[in-house]
Amino acid sequence: MSGGHVVRLRVNGVDHEAEVEPRLLLVDFLRVQLGLTGTHVGCEHGVCGACTVILNGDSVRSCLCLAVEADGGAVETVEGLGRVDDLDPLQEAFREHHALQCGFCTPGMLMTGIDLLRKQPLASDGEIRAGLSGNLCRCTGYQHIVRAIRASVEARDGD
Amino acid sequence: MKPPPFAYLAAGSLDEAISALAAGDGEARLLAGGQSLMPMLNFRLLQPGLLISLNRIPGLGGITENGGGLRIGALTRHAELERSPLVARHFPVLGAAMEHVAHLAIRNRGTIGGSLCHADPAAELPMLMCLLDAGITAQGPAGERTLAAAEFFLGALTTALAEDEIVTAIELPALAEGCGWGFEEMARRSGDFALAGAAAIISLTGDRVSEARLAVMGAHPTPLRVAAAEALLRDQTIDEDTVRAAAEAAAAAVEPDNDLHASADYRRHLIGVLTARVLRAALRRAQGETP
Amino acid sequence: MEIEVRPGLIGARVQRLEDPRLLTGHGTYVDDLQLPGTLHLAFRRSDHGHARIIAIDTEEAAAMPGVAAVVTAADIADGVKPYRATSRMPDYHPTTLPVLAADKVRYVGEPVVAVLAENRYLAEDAAEQVAIDYDPLPTVIDPEAAAQPGAPVLHEEIGSNVILSRSFSRGDVEAALAGAPVRVAGRFRMHRKTPAAMENRAYLADYDQGRRALTLYSSTQVPGIVRDSLAEILDIPGNRLRVIAPDVGGGFGGKTPLYGEEVLVCHLARKLGRPVKWCADRLEDLTTTSQAFDEIVEAELACDGDGTILGLRAEVIGDIGAYSIYPYTAALEPVQVISFLPGPYRVPSYHGAVKGVATSKALTGAYRGVGRPISTFAMERLVDMAARELSLDPLEMRRRNMVRAEEFPYKTPVGLVWDRAGFMECLDGAAAAADYDGLRAEQARARADGRWFGIGLASYAELTGLGSRISAAPGMPVNTGTETASIRIDATGAVTAAFGIASHGQGLETTLAQVVAEELGVRVEDVEVVHGDSDAVAHSTGTYASRSTILAGGAATLSARALRQQVVEAAAHLLEAAQADIEVADGAIRVAGTDRAMSFPELAKAVFVEMGRLPRELREQVDLQVTKTYDPYFGTTAPATHLAVVEIDPETYRVAIRRYVVAEDCGRIINPMIADGQVHGGVAQGIGAALYEEVVYDDEGQILTASLVDYLVPTAAEIPEMEVLHLEIETEANIGGFRGLGEGGTIGAPAALANAVTDALAPLGIDIDELPVTPDRLFRLIREANKDEN
Repeated sequence: MSGGHVVRLRVNGVDHEAEVEPRLLLVDFLRVQLGLTGTHVGCEHGVCGACTVILNGDSVRSCLCLAVEADGGAVETVEGLGRVDDLDPLQEAFREHHALQCGFCTPGMLMTGIDLLRKQPLASDGEIRAGLSGNLCRCTGYQHIVRAIRASVEARDGD
Repeated sequence: MKPPPFAYLAAGSLDEAISALAAGDGEARLLAGGQSLMPMLNFRLLQPGLLISLNRIPGLGGITENGGGLRIGALTRHAELERSPLVARHFPVLGAAMEHVAHLAIRNRGTIGGSLCHADPAAELPMLMCLLDAGITAQGPAGERTLAAAEFFLGALTTALAEDEIVTAIELPALAEGCGWGFEEMARRSGDFALAGAAAIISLTGDRVSEARLAVMGAHPTPLRVAAAEALLRDQTIDEDTVRAAAEAAAAAVEPDNDLHASADYRRHLIGVLTARVLRAALRRAQGETP
Repeated sequence: MEIEVRPGLIGARVQRLEDPRLLTGHGTYVDDLQLPGTLHLAFRRSDHGHARIIAIDTEEAAAMPGVAAVVTAADIADGVKPYRATSRMPDYHPTTLPVLAADKVRYVGEPVVAVLAENRYLAEDAAEQVAIDYDPLPTVIDPEAAAQPGAPVLHEEIGSNVILSRSFSRGDVEAALAGAPVRVAGRFRMHRKTPAAMENRAYLADYDQGRRALTLYSSTQVPGIVRDSLAEILDIPGNRLRVIAPDVGGGFGGKTPLYGEEVLVCHLARKLGRPVKWCADRLEDLTTTSQAFDEIVEAELACDGDGTILGLRAEVIGDIGAYSIYPYTAALEPVQVISFLPGPYRVPSYHGAVKGVATSKALTGAYRGVGRPISTFAMERLVDMAARELSLDPLEMRRRNMVRAEEFPYKTPVGLVWDRAGFMECLDGAAAAADYDGLRAEQARARADGRWFGIGLASYAELTGLGSRISAAPGMPVNTGTETASIRIDATGAVTAAFGIASHGQGLETTLAQVVAEELGVRVEDVEVVHGDSDAVAHSTGTYASRSTILAGGAATLSARALRQQVVEAAAHLLEAAQADIEVADGAIRVAGTDRAMSFPELAKAVFVEMGRLPRELREQVDLQVTKTYDPYFGTTAPATHLAVVEIDPETYRVAIRRYVVAEDCGRIINPMIADGQVHGGVAQGIGAALYEEVVYDDEGQILTASLVDYLVPTAAEIPEMEVLHLEIETEANIGGFRGLGEGGTIGAPAALANAVTDALAPLGIDIDELPVTPDRLFRLIREANKDEN
């Protein structure tokens, strides 16, 4: 898809430049143009959270953001966390606590979790649950996800 | 669910945005946070010829002190309101209500100007602006004007803004020293649009109410200041009877609709319940207690 | 409750082998596959609930940029054979399933025209330009009205909307009811749900013109069934038709049917010679993926003065939607409701009858629990109502009627047989774990303070891991009762275990690896589990109906044991020892009590490469590959008791779940972490069914819940912490001693919550007989109750 608008984006520390149609969603830019298919499309109306990425330091829905709107910005996606043989601590906590089943919501959950862990005290499970409430998971009943985040909070706070 | 084609302009200045909007001849739409607009585009409920992004206009965001009150740039995100020490100091009800607005990622992106212009009758910010007697400043080809929040919301998704105007800032006048506040809403799930909500401000002189403000949402085509309830409270010593009377007045003032998530009667019932709760909370805070 | 800690791999909290790829964004879901030259499909779907198609104009759409083809029913008639879900069940009328609607549309969302374009954006642009001229027909929305003579008929060739009728009887229920001192009755309504897997359905077909071979990548739970069906519909032999379910983002039953879109992408890829992809968006998912749990149950329960159940009678109407779903038939859920209604209790006389009625709505099919969430809701409400009449505690009422340990095997009124399972152990276990007496005391104090505090119990039993004797759906011409495992040690010494199941969140790559590893004597991480691929084994179906652990685990056990025997035979020769002295463990082969040993690679080399090391006759027996099929023949009983504690805000009527306890008997646990996760997820969906989720159609057949703003999947903030007690009661019903646990959470939760909310409202005398019990429904019930009071 072309259309004359050039988008320059730093994704997981790597600079990209592409010409796109204005209507191209950021999530499609990441998945199709850049081949970063770890970010998933679940609802395209901002409810499920599967497409959550971090844009300029804040978690956002990449289905509710045009690629042209992100021009000049820095995006973090799940591919920028750990690798298969070297998981980052939150990914490791998710594995340890069985916080994923089908894995489809997982990248969005992780990126929301990263944003929460960077910014919020998360003093109670209630705060964690409220923080995660923009990310739907249909498999886990959330309990193990909450546990994984709780463990990450404890690691962060040195408990 | 992919958006239809449209032209796009990242406006570099307010003037550029205003001229483009005027030139768009009704086919142009403004894009701020996009958290309401983008879902409508993805569902193809809208087919604008041109999207004018306001996100790169310098100076359209930010929270500054202004007299005893605050000036909030239209591009200020919900998350900034939630975290702002200035908001917490001057208008704690505003900061506290933000956690009820959708979810983290939506609040990171959604703007105050966008929320007010979208004018969803169940959205928190329009009701809070009515509660806080906000002035909503807009600019158009004819210049700048400020509308009182109470006159801004005309109906569900309808505002007094002219087609060629852009909201630029919100002025919140200072509240009385020591006033108390309350905010409550009932939503089906965490972050959902409220079935009903209410917010109150109460100032006391001694035992008596020197100022009472009550606003409700979700049960009426617009957010509503309930003058009848406020009148019942003013100059009174509040007890449970006054609270009940005000709650009944609020429930009587709204004209709710039946919809998928709640019947009109239930919404009206909730307005009464939530009004009583926010009044009790505001009173307690005005008395220096924690509700 | 002490759970024995075994030294083996079965029962160990092994971390999942699938996790690293899923956690790093390296999973491969269908939409992640981007083949060069792919055409993207978008549909123009019906916006009418029932209408005749007068004319279709595709000219403008076909001229749009990037459009490769615009396709209607007439265009595909040559390459796609009509298909319908047949059954041996009497009083059942199959309906032909159109891939694209030809003469009529019968629900909003039914595909009418397909547009193929270079990308999805352009395909949607063109689909908007298709013009369809409809002649609207009267819709049928209310299933009871639809069943009446004279109602508008959706399928003229059947002549009625009643697609199926079935009944079961045991004993003289009329006499039992007539003479009973206590009779309670209710009309129970569960409103329609949708599975709402986080990944929408997605299909990609790739046609290899050289081989004339088709590969379908599908987000299906049942690649085997899809392969076998497509082979007939598209007339392609199975050796040139492969269905691969790569990583699949949840299914919950919604991905068990064969869908028209699956047929169409295959047909078009073959016809056009380019890959064809269709990924549902959420709007399409919510309007066209199979829905479920849409029954009305009118039931009456009769008891003796001491609470002993004497008889049960029920009339059920199932709203099946517009067509009978393929291949399970519309009988799947409605018949299940009357099959399981008697629950885990002794019910000496029973009559249950069901009608399945077609309506102008999306098709219904399997959804986690299939019918039993509804039957359990109705029966558990009746049990509580009877207890109240008798002033008996609900716990005691259940104790008096539940099938006791010495009564197994127990034949239910419909002829199902409960094998030995922990019915009473689950009931007592849940009560003990929750401190039932303490909760009742807490309730008394809360009530004294004017709080609405309720405790709800729900007990049920299900039949999991069905063998060939019991069909997953009545009379269905597909064998779902066997599973095959094909395990091999290749020339490098690596172990690959291939299955017909298709894991999509259940962690079967790990649990089956645990079974193979333990039986074969290797490490879990040494076993590569192949699944979700119709080429993996000769016959397969997939993963659904709480079957995969029992059936695939059984097949894994048989195959791994036979393969281990080959290893032992070869190693005994190579290490010059008696077979009895050969030990295989952790991937090493040893002669007991010596330092003589060899590795799997060394063994494989000796078998496959170093000809002469094994004598010719031994090589004929030892090829290090074994394929075995397992058939448990009957099913395995899996019971549970759920206990919910709720508190209702007496002003807003918000229901807060204070505690949630599950005691369930899942037999021998393979991986306790995964077992917990299955229960948690099931309960969360049951909570959704009880309190939040409801698919709503208006009188015109327009679906009002076509977004996730309006169809309320619970978030982390609505789901409470759950306490799960696994009771590992031994069973000989299957070779591994496992019981299925994929669905149970969803079966118990709606009933437990309905009972808890009713209990909380006991001071007002309100009975919950409709789910979900939303705040607005509570408002209306309470208003009525207060009116009656005054």
